[in-house]
Amino acid sequence: MPSRPRPLRPKRPITPLRLLVGLARPHKGRIALGALFYLLAGSASMAQLWMIGRIVDEGFIARDGSGLVFWLSLTALAVIAQPVFWSLGFRQFVGAEAAGQRAIVRRLTDHLNAAGTGVRGRVPAGELVNLPSEDTRRAARSIADVGFFFNNFAMFTVGSALVWSIHPLLGVVIIAGSAVTSVVTGPLLGRLQRRQSDYREMIGDLTAHAADIVGGLRVLRGIGGDVLFAERYRERSSALRDKGYRVANSSSWIHAMRHSMPIVFVAAITWTGAILAADGAITIGGLASAFSFATVFIAVSGNFIGLAHFLVAAWVAAGRIAGFLHVGPDVDDSGTVRGGGGELRDPESGLTVPVGGLTAVVTAETAPALEACERLARYRDSEAVWGARPLEAYALAEVRERIMLLTDEDYLFAGTLAETLRADRNRALAAIETACAADVYSGLGGSLDGRVAEGGQNLSGGQRQRLRLARAIAAEPEILLAVEPTSAVDAHTESLVARRVAAARAGKSTVVVAASPMWLARADRVVWMVEGKVHAVGSHAELLDDPAYRRLASHRAD
Amino acid sequence: MGADVATAARLPIADARQVRRAFMRLLAADRGRAIQVLVLYTLAAGCTVAVPMLLGRVVDGIGAGWSIERINLVCGLIVAAVAVQFVLSRLGRRAGYRFGERAAARLREGVVTKVLGLPLGRVEQAGRGDLGTRTAADVNTVADLLRDNGPTVATALIEVVVLYVATFLIDPLLGLCALVTVPPLLLAARRYLRRASGAFLAQRAAMSEAAETLSASGAGARTVAALRLQQERREAGHARAETMYRRFMRVLRLQIEFFLVLLWLNRFQLVIVVAAAGLWYFQGGLSLGTAVAAITVTVRIANPTNAVMVQLNEFQQGAASLARIEGVNLIHVEPRTAVPEGNDLRLDAVTFGYGDGPDVLHGLSLHPRPGERLVVVGPSGAGKSTIARLLAGIDRPRTGTATLGGVPVGDIAVEELRRRVVLVTQEHYVFTATLRENLVLAAPDADDDRLVEGLRRVDAGWAVAAGLDTMLGPEHRPLSTAEAQQIALARVVIADPAIVILDEATAGIDPASAGNVEAALAAALAGRTVIAIAHQLQAARSADRIAVVERGRIVEDGTHEELLAAGGVYGGLWHAWQGD
Repeated sequence: MPSRPRPLRPKRPITPLRLLVGLARPHKGRIALGALFYLLAGSASMAQLWMIGRIVDEGFIARDGSGLVFWLSLTALAVIAQPVFWSLGFRQFVGAEAAGQRAIVRRLTDHLNAAGTGVRGRVPAGELVNLPSEDTRRAARSIADVGFFFNNFAMFTVGSALVWSIHPLLGVVIIAGSAVTSVVTGPLLGRLQRRQSDYREMIGDLTAHAADIVGGLRVLRGIGGDVLFAERYRERSSALRDKGYRVANSSSWIHAMRHSMPIVFVAAITWTGAILAADGAITIGGLASAFSFATVFIAVSGNFIGLAHFLVAAWVAAGRIAGFLHVGPDVDDSGTVRGGGGELRDPESGLTVPVGGLTAVVTAETAPALEACERLARYRDSEAVWGARPLEAYALAEVRERIMLLTDEDYLFAGTLAETLRADRNRALAAIETACAADVYSGLGGSLDGRVAEGGQNLSGGQRQRLRLARAIAAEPEILLAVEPTSAVDAHTESLVARRVAAARAGKSTVVVAASPMWLARADRVVWMVEGKVHAVGSHAELLDDPAYRRLASHRAD
Repeated sequence: MGADVATAARLPIADARQVRRAFMRLLAADRGRAIQVLVLYTLAAGCTVAVPMLLGRVVDGIGAGWSIERINLVCGLIVAAVAVQFVLSRLGRRAGYRFGERAAARLREGVVTKVLGLPLGRVEQAGRGDLGTRTAADVNTVADLLRDNGPTVATALIEVVVLYVATFLIDPLLGLCALVTVPPLLLAARRYLRRASGAFLAQRAAMSEAAETLSASGAGARTVAALRLQQERREAGHARAETMYRRFMRVLRLQIEFFLVLLWLNRFQLVIVVAAAGLWYFQGGLSLGTAVAAITVTVRIANPTNAVMVQLNEFQQGAASLARIEGVNLIHVEPRTAVPEGNDLRLDAVTFGYGDGPDVLHGLSLHPRPGERLVVVGPSGAGKSTIARLLAGIDRPRTGTATLGGVPVGDIAVEELRRRVVLVTQEHYVFTATLRENLVLAAPDADDDRLVEGLRRVDAGWAVAAGLDTMLGPEHRPLSTAEAQQIALARVVIADPAIVILDEATAGIDPASAGNVEAALAAALAGRTVIAIAHQLQAARSADRIAVVERGRIVEDGTHEELLAAGGVYGGLWHAWQGD
């Protein structure tokens, strides 16, 4: 049950637009420079096509060798310059995109710290995978896409003006051609994507089915169902193929249209130009130029709307990132008291933690005991009291420093054993000994430099549990609240751990929630909780007189 | 337990030759349609090329003083060519998509069928994550390529070829001039692909590392708070961001280098053709129309060439995915044909180790008697789970034998073996399917009554109440560990094999309810041979026999009373466990 949300209150809410603009703002200079280069590149590119006309007219038709050489040299200059300008523009925009990715990941990282435990239960694990990868990529891409848009626009404007200068009628045809191509084929693409959405869904479904087969392979092989699942997979795969056939019927029209539409306008330019040329209204060189323009940039005009799709994707991704940035901490951090302390008390359950000693909490339902410990460790806002003051009055940093909660949810970050235990050599080795985690130490190469993989994936469940315990022991908190710290450990080891922990934490306060007699027999004080409330307190021996307690907390046969 | 996967034997990856062969197989399997696609694409491209060629005619016609009607006629032909091109293009694309759909379906069905027949031990050594990526992400990458980018690039590639052929048809010498830039372009592309593939992979890896680091920070939010790791997590996240940036910039540098060469070559080709056409024209070698046709055809070459070039990388990634999929097909599967006589299961002097690792079992022998309830206890890491895997035929011993009915367990056909021996581990998988489908896989012909009875036997009243049509799985009805375990146990009861191996099968169930489930299960399995592996001792007391394993050897063997009386390892454990 996640605590109530407590949103951070930024000065202004973060909208997708603000996020994207904020991403581009530090690169104003770069973007302006990039736009200039793209403009030069587009102009150089279009100038080449225009010069083809001059070459035909003043070189070929005029049979003038020097005219040919002159225009050809100019074209060659443009040919040399254009890729250089284009690359410089590309470099500015895509460089800004790369920096944008970096900025987003930094911001996500910092926000994770700011929101703290607030992300728990409110940001799904999968989302934290997508935010710094796919969403970041899509959002940052908008910078480069705006650049491409500008590049195409520059080509379109310069090109249209040049064609217009050949003959206004050709200018009209080419502008209309570009406009119609982008307006017609763009939305068609959008419609196709929508039509494909259930097809995409089927793909996702089939992929999930394949993942299910691999995940449950042991069951399918060991118990049966392999034939059944293979058949079901084949059925769905065929259904997807048939659906794909239907999608192909319509998408082939749309793609053919996207491909052919520009050629239709090339034909239109050719026809119009041919009649104008026959009339003598334009030269043959003008006709060749116009044809080349049509070939090159009507084909490109489809990109306009293609870019719009990427911008929509960027918008959606930025929205998700902004949503994450609105997640705030889940516990109040307005307390200021430092120092002090004393007995820790949770009025809701009646659980108290006296100063010093080992308290064992035994209960048939672990969940409410865990919640009581969460209240005492300030992972939930509550009426808990520490010494003379409400726990909420203390600075959160003070509480975190002195009170530690240990659960199976605790995470092992990737790093060396020394980094994991966060203590000097002697204290680290002592903690390993206390938690009976020598096998972890030797398994990782018998050195504190051995690497623990992310989430402790290179350790078994039992090893992870003991390593987490060792880490808590090494931290030497004033109060340690440990929930089921040895549930995955064998009986023999558990009794060793109980003895060693009791010794290592002598003089400090320790609470262990566990039903195992190994802990109960070691405890200075046993708290018996029923349905989330303290039912009885005493020593293990005293409580054993109660048959209900005996059933719960003793392995001894009655 | 699972700790040994660190020394995993990775799944194979096909080499370049095998990938080519796999690709040719995909083409050959649908040869007729592949040829149809090729013909349609080529004809469509031919119509596209007709446009500039007819333009050349018009130019010469204007020079020769054609009438407007004649010009209109040729221009009408151009429009007709465009119309035919449109129809052919549509038919070609439809055929191309259909070809892609079929090839994708064949590919994914093939790999899933193969996966279901893989030796379990091999899969688990390699880690199931790898196999999962291959059957899901890699299959999708290749399928997308076959369906979408494949047809698009094939169209562009054929158009490029047809355009070059057209330059030859217009004038062979000009055709040669146009070809001049092709070799350097291919060299540049090859150089780019060699260097870029690593850079792209590194960039993608940097992104997944960032995702991993940030999701770890999220998953460990409490740990960060408890241990005050904020500064470290900040540094880790910022370091990932920096790596992402640096690798992106490296990709950018390589791209710029390649695009620069690509753009230069595209336009230099035009300059060369224009210059050559000029010389020829001055020498009277060709007409103005031919020159204009050659020039405009060359202008057109750039677009489809770029379309192919920017997709090269996708194809490289597709080939990498295909190599990984094909790698699954390369895993050798030994035929399992042995037929056991009777249900006598035994280990004789077995040694075993994972991968190239050291032995974890040392000459261990174990012989569960038919109908007996044998409990294997011992500390974590003693080799208990390994014993279970050998008995279930998942792994084969290095030396010694694991036999059922006189034949090696690992040689018995899977369908035959699972009718006799079923292993349940603490790893309990629930399929995203209905409750009925989750249970019926154990006995395909079982009716609902038998399924419900199976659930009752394992104390899963909640499941009976929910109904057999309930969809399970994380998105529908997520199950707790205990509930998932009950489903796993219910499957065993429904499957009803002669021998059941329970490896910590009730470990995830609350201590309070574990007792109930175990008692119910014991009743349900009465008369069966049960081999139960445990680190807690609840189950040991009521067992017919207890085997104590330490460091890969059986150190004690006997009934509860016998072992207590002997006062050895088991006696020590028992007293410790009772809290004495």
